[in-house]
Amino acid sequence: MSAARALAALSEPTRFRIVEVLRGGPRPVGDIARRLRLRQPQASKHLRVLSEAGVVERRAVAQQRLYGLREDAFRDLDSWLRTFERIWCERMEGLERTLEEERPRKRKAGRSK
Amino acid sequence: MKARVTKNRARRELLVEQVVRASRERVWDSWTRPERISRWWGPMGCTTTVYAMDVRPGGVWHYCIRPAPPATDEWWCRAVYEEVTRPSLLVYTDAFSDARGTVKPGTGMPTRVEFAERPSGRTKITIVTRFPTVKDLDAAEERGMVQGFIEMFERLASDLAGGARDG
Repeated sequence: MSAARALAALSEPTRFRIVEVLRGGPRPVGDIARRLRLRQPQASKHLRVLSEAGVVERRAVAQQRLYGLREDAFRDLDSWLRTFERIWCERMEGLERTLEEERPRKRKAGRSK
Repeated sequence: MKARVTKNRARRELLVEQVVRASRERVWDSWTRPERISRWWGPMGCTTTVYAMDVRPGGVWHYCIRPAPPATDEWWCRAVYEEVTRPSLLVYTDAFSDARGTVKPGTGMPTRVEFAERPSGRTKITIVTRFPTVKDLDAAEERGMVQGFIEMFERLASDLAGGARDG
Protein backbone atom coordinates (compact mmCIF):
# COMPACT_ATOMS: atom_id res chain seq x y z
CA MET A 1 0.00 0.00 0.00
CA SER A 2 1.46 3.31 -0.97
CA ALA A 3 2.13 6.02 1.56
CA ALA A 4 0.80 8.54 -0.92
CA ARG A 5 -2.67 6.95 -0.94
CA ALA A 6 -2.72 6.74 2.81
CA LEU A 7 -1.71 10.38 3.05
CA ALA A 8 -4.39 11.36 0.60
CA ALA A 9 -7.08 9.47 2.52
CA LEU A 10 -5.97 10.95 5.83
CA SER A 11 -6.00 14.52 4.67
CA GLU A 12 -9.80 14.66 4.97
CA PRO A 13 -10.57 15.89 8.52
CA THR A 14 -13.34 13.41 9.34
CA ARG A 15 -11.21 10.50 8.25
CA PHE A 16 -8.37 11.86 10.32
CA ARG A 17 -10.71 11.87 13.34
CA ILE A 18 -11.77 8.31 12.61
CA VAL A 19 -8.14 7.27 12.70
CA GLU A 20 -7.70 9.07 16.01
CA VAL A 21 -10.67 7.14 17.42
CA LEU A 22 -9.27 3.85 16.14
CA ARG A 23 -5.99 4.44 17.91
CA GLY A 24 -7.78 3.22 21.01
CA GLY A 25 -8.40 -0.13 19.30
CA PRO A 26 -10.79 -1.66 16.72
CA ARG A 27 -14.44 -0.62 16.90
CA PRO A 28 -17.71 -1.35 15.15
CA VAL A 29 -18.99 1.25 12.70
CA GLY A 30 -21.92 2.23 14.93
CA ASP A 31 -19.56 3.07 17.75
CA ILE A 32 -17.31 5.14 15.49
CA ALA A 33 -20.32 7.04 14.14
CA ARG A 34 -21.62 7.75 17.63
CA ARG A 35 -18.31 9.00 18.94
CA LEU A 36 -17.88 11.39 16.03
CA ARG A 37 -21.58 12.29 15.78
CA LEU A 38 -21.81 11.04 12.23
CA ARG A 39 -24.66 9.25 10.60
CA GLN A 40 -23.77 5.63 10.12
CA PRO A 41 -23.82 5.71 6.29
CA GLN A 42 -21.41 8.65 6.42
CA ALA A 43 -19.09 6.80 8.74
CA SER A 44 -19.27 3.75 6.47
CA LYS A 45 -18.38 5.85 3.47
CA HIS A 46 -15.29 7.24 5.14
CA LEU A 47 -14.31 3.81 6.41
CA ARG A 48 -14.57 2.52 2.87
CA VAL A 49 -12.15 5.19 1.63
CA LEU A 50 -9.79 4.45 4.48
CA SER A 51 -9.89 0.76 3.81
CA GLU A 52 -9.34 1.24 0.07
CA ALA A 53 -6.30 3.31 0.95
CA GLY A 54 -5.11 0.49 3.18
CA VAL A 55 -5.31 2.55 6.36
CA VAL A 56 -7.99 0.47 8.09
CA GLU A 57 -9.18 -3.08 7.77
CA ARG A 58 -12.34 -4.86 8.76
CA ARG A 59 -12.11 -7.85 11.03
CA ALA A 60 -14.76 -10.20 12.29
CA VAL A 61 -14.48 -10.67 16.02
CA ALA A 62 -17.10 -12.94 17.58
CA GLN A 63 -20.37 -11.71 16.02
CA GLN A 64 -19.07 -8.22 15.41
CA ARG A 65 -17.45 -6.53 12.48
CA LEU A 66 -14.75 -4.26 13.75
CA TYR A 67 -12.70 -1.65 11.99
CA GLY A 68 -9.10 -1.29 13.05
CA LEU A 69 -5.92 0.41 11.88
CA ARG A 70 -3.64 -1.49 9.56
CA GLU A 71 -0.08 -1.47 10.77
CA ASP A 72 1.35 -1.71 7.24
CA ALA A 73 -0.10 1.60 6.20
CA PHE A 74 1.63 3.28 9.07
CA ARG A 75 4.90 1.58 8.40
CA ASP A 76 4.90 3.14 4.93
CA LEU A 77 3.96 6.52 6.32
CA ASP A 78 6.64 6.17 8.93
CA SER A 79 9.30 5.47 6.39
CA TRP A 80 8.18 8.55 4.47
CA LEU A 81 8.38 10.67 7.60
CA ARG A 82 11.60 9.05 8.78
CA THR A 83 13.47 10.16 5.70
CA PHE A 84 12.54 13.73 6.50
CA GLU A 85 13.25 13.27 10.16
CA ARG A 86 16.71 12.07 9.31
CA ILE A 87 17.38 14.91 6.94
CA TRP A 88 16.23 17.49 9.49
CA CYS A 89 18.29 15.96 12.28
CA GLU A 90 21.39 16.09 10.13
CA ARG A 91 20.56 19.57 9.07
CA MET A 92 20.30 20.71 12.67
CA GLU A 93 23.60 19.05 13.53
CA GLY A 94 25.18 20.81 10.58
CA LEU A 95 23.72 24.15 11.61
CA GLU A 96 24.96 23.73 15.15
CA ARG A 97 28.42 22.81 13.93
CA THR A 98 28.53 25.78 11.58
CA LEU A 99 27.39 28.16 14.29
CA GLU A 100 30.10 26.85 16.61
CA GLU A 101 32.73 27.31 13.93
CA GLU A 102 31.60 30.84 13.24
CA ARG A 103 31.30 31.70 16.89
CA PRO A 104 32.45 35.28 17.42
CA ARG A 105 35.30 36.08 19.85
CA LYS A 106 35.50 32.61 21.20
CA ARG A 107 38.96 31.16 21.35
CA LYS A 108 39.55 29.35 18.17
CA ALA A 109 41.16 26.19 19.35
CA GLY A 110 42.85 25.35 16.02
CA ARG A 111 40.32 22.64 15.52
CA SER A 112 41.07 20.65 12.39
CA LYS A 113 38.16 20.11 10.09
CA MET B 1 22.18 19.30 21.70
CA LYS B 2 20.24 16.85 19.60
CA ALA B 3 17.20 18.06 17.71
CA ARG B 4 13.86 16.94 19.05
CA VAL B 5 11.56 15.63 16.37
CA THR B 6 7.87 15.01 16.85
CA LYS B 7 6.00 13.26 14.08
CA ASN B 8 2.32 13.52 13.50
CA ARG B 9 1.77 11.06 10.73
CA ALA B 10 -1.96 11.59 10.52
CA ARG B 11 -1.51 15.33 10.17
CA ARG B 12 1.45 14.75 7.90
CA GLU B 13 3.58 17.04 9.99
CA LEU B 14 7.04 17.02 11.33
CA LEU B 15 7.91 19.27 14.27
CA VAL B 16 11.61 19.87 14.78
CA GLU B 17 12.90 21.72 17.84
CA GLN B 18 16.47 22.66 18.47
CA VAL B 19 18.26 25.03 20.82
CA VAL B 20 21.56 26.42 19.57
CA ARG B 21 24.27 28.49 21.19
CA ALA B 22 23.97 31.56 19.02
CA SER B 23 21.96 34.75 18.92
CA ARG B 24 18.75 34.97 16.97
CA GLU B 25 20.41 37.29 14.47
CA ARG B 26 23.18 34.82 13.75
CA VAL B 27 20.75 31.96 13.34
CA TRP B 28 18.58 34.11 11.09
CA ASP B 29 21.59 34.91 8.92
CA SER B 30 22.46 31.23 8.73
CA TRP B 31 19.03 30.64 7.25
CA THR B 32 18.76 33.62 4.96
CA ARG B 33 22.18 34.14 3.37
CA PRO B 34 23.26 31.91 0.50
CA GLU B 35 26.87 31.57 1.63
CA ARG B 36 25.75 30.64 5.13
CA ILE B 37 22.92 28.23 4.44
CA SER B 38 24.93 26.27 1.89
CA ARG B 39 27.35 25.36 4.69
CA TRP B 40 24.81 23.31 6.60
CA TRP B 41 21.62 22.69 4.61
CA GLY B 42 23.08 19.37 3.59
CA PRO B 43 22.20 16.55 4.04
CA MET B 44 25.56 15.39 5.25
CA GLY B 45 27.91 14.43 2.49
CA CYS B 46 25.96 16.55 0.02
CA THR B 47 26.70 19.99 -1.32
CA THR B 48 24.03 22.64 -1.49
CA THR B 49 24.42 25.35 -4.10
CA VAL B 50 22.14 28.35 -3.92
CA TYR B 51 21.22 29.88 -7.26
CA ALA B 52 18.72 32.44 -6.02
CA MET B 53 17.73 33.65 -2.59
CA ASP B 54 15.43 36.60 -2.35
CA VAL B 55 14.27 36.66 1.25
CA ARG B 56 11.04 38.64 1.16
CA PRO B 57 7.40 37.65 0.71
CA GLY B 58 7.01 36.27 -2.81
CA GLY B 59 10.78 35.98 -3.19
CA VAL B 60 12.35 32.79 -4.53
CA TRP B 61 14.99 30.51 -3.11
CA HIS B 62 16.31 28.15 -5.76
CA TYR B 63 18.93 25.59 -4.87
CA CYS B 64 20.40 22.26 -5.77
CA ILE B 65 21.57 19.43 -3.56
CA ARG B 66 24.28 17.17 -4.97
CA PRO B 67 25.71 14.13 -3.26
CA ALA B 68 29.48 13.66 -3.19
CA PRO B 69 31.10 12.27 -6.32
CA PRO B 70 31.00 9.80 -7.99
CA ALA B 71 27.21 10.14 -7.63
CA THR B 72 25.82 12.48 -10.25
CA ASP B 73 22.32 13.01 -8.83
CA GLU B 74 20.94 16.48 -8.60
CA TRP B 75 17.98 17.41 -6.45
CA TRP B 76 16.67 20.77 -7.42
CA CYS B 77 14.35 22.66 -5.13
CA ARG B 78 12.53 25.92 -5.33
CA ALA B 79 10.99 27.64 -2.36
CA VAL B 80 8.84 30.74 -2.25
CA TYR B 81 8.86 32.87 0.89
CA GLU B 82 5.49 33.82 2.31
CA GLU B 83 6.29 35.54 5.58
CA VAL B 84 9.56 37.13 6.49
CA THR B 85 9.87 38.75 9.90
CA ARG B 86 13.49 39.24 10.77
CA PRO B 87 14.78 37.75 13.05
CA SER B 88 11.89 35.71 14.37
CA LEU B 89 9.78 34.11 11.66
CA LEU B 90 10.27 32.60 8.24
CA VAL B 91 7.45 30.92 6.34
CA TYR B 92 8.01 29.38 2.94
CA THR B 93 6.86 26.56 0.74
CA ASP B 94 9.66 24.36 -0.46
CA ALA B 95 9.08 22.19 -3.52
CA PHE B 96 11.00 19.96 -5.87
CA SER B 97 11.76 21.59 -9.18
CA ASP B 98 14.04 21.35 -12.15
CA ALA B 99 17.16 23.35 -12.91
CA ARG B 100 15.08 26.11 -14.43
CA GLY B 101 12.96 26.40 -11.34
CA THR B 102 9.83 24.79 -12.71
CA VAL B 103 8.15 23.25 -9.69
CA LYS B 104 7.01 19.62 -9.78
CA PRO B 105 3.30 19.63 -8.98
CA GLY B 106 2.19 18.15 -5.70
CA THR B 107 5.55 18.47 -4.01
CA GLY B 108 5.14 21.69 -2.04
CA MET B 109 5.98 21.46 1.62
CA PRO B 110 4.78 24.42 3.67
CA THR B 111 7.42 25.16 6.26
CA ARG B 112 7.34 27.52 9.20
CA VAL B 113 10.52 28.36 11.07
CA GLU B 114 10.43 30.30 14.32
CA PHE B 115 13.43 31.70 16.13
CA ALA B 116 12.92 32.47 19.82
CA GLU B 117 15.41 34.01 22.22
CA ARG B 118 16.56 31.87 25.10
CA PRO B 119 18.69 32.85 28.12
CA SER B 120 22.46 33.15 27.82
CA GLY B 121 22.50 34.01 24.15
CA ARG B 122 20.79 30.89 22.93
CA THR B 123 18.09 30.54 20.31
CA LYS B 124 15.33 28.03 20.07
CA ILE B 125 14.47 27.02 16.53
CA THR B 126 11.06 25.49 15.88
CA ILE B 127 10.30 24.09 12.47
CA VAL B 128 6.94 22.77 11.38
CA THR B 129 6.83 21.23 7.96
CA ARG B 130 3.84 19.65 6.30
CA PHE B 131 3.58 17.15 3.49
CA PRO B 132 1.30 17.24 0.45
CA THR B 133 -2.46 17.43 0.85
CA VAL B 134 -5.17 15.46 -0.87
CA LYS B 135 -5.65 18.28 -3.33
CA ASP B 136 -2.01 18.15 -4.30
CA LEU B 137 -2.25 14.42 -4.67
CA ASP B 138 -5.35 14.40 -6.81
CA ALA B 139 -3.76 13.22 -10.00
CA ALA B 140 -2.45 9.68 -10.09
CA GLU B 141 0.68 10.99 -11.74
CA GLU B 142 1.32 13.21 -8.76
CA ARG B 143 0.75 10.38 -6.35
CA GLY B 144 3.35 8.46 -8.29
CA MET B 145 5.63 11.42 -7.89
CA VAL B 146 5.35 11.34 -4.12
CA GLN B 147 6.12 7.65 -4.22
CA GLY B 148 9.14 8.58 -6.27
CA PHE B 149 10.28 10.97 -3.58
CA ILE B 150 9.97 8.32 -0.94
CA GLU B 151 12.28 6.17 -2.99
CA MET B 152 14.59 9.05 -3.71
CA PHE B 153 14.91 9.91 -0.05
CA GLU B 154 15.38 6.33 0.91
CA ARG B 155 18.13 6.07 -1.63
CA LEU B 156 19.62 9.27 -0.35
CA ALA B 157 19.42 7.98 3.21
CA SER B 158 21.09 4.73 2.28
CA ASP B 159 23.76 6.58 0.26
CA LEU B 160 24.47 8.54 3.38
CA ALA B 161 24.44 5.46 5.55
CA GLY B 162 26.91 3.78 3.18
CA GLY B 163 30.15 3.61 5.10
CA ALA B 164 28.35 3.96 8.40
CA ARG B 165 27.56 0.76 10.19
CA ASP B 166 23.84 0.65 10.29
CA GLY B 167 22.55 -2.25 8.31
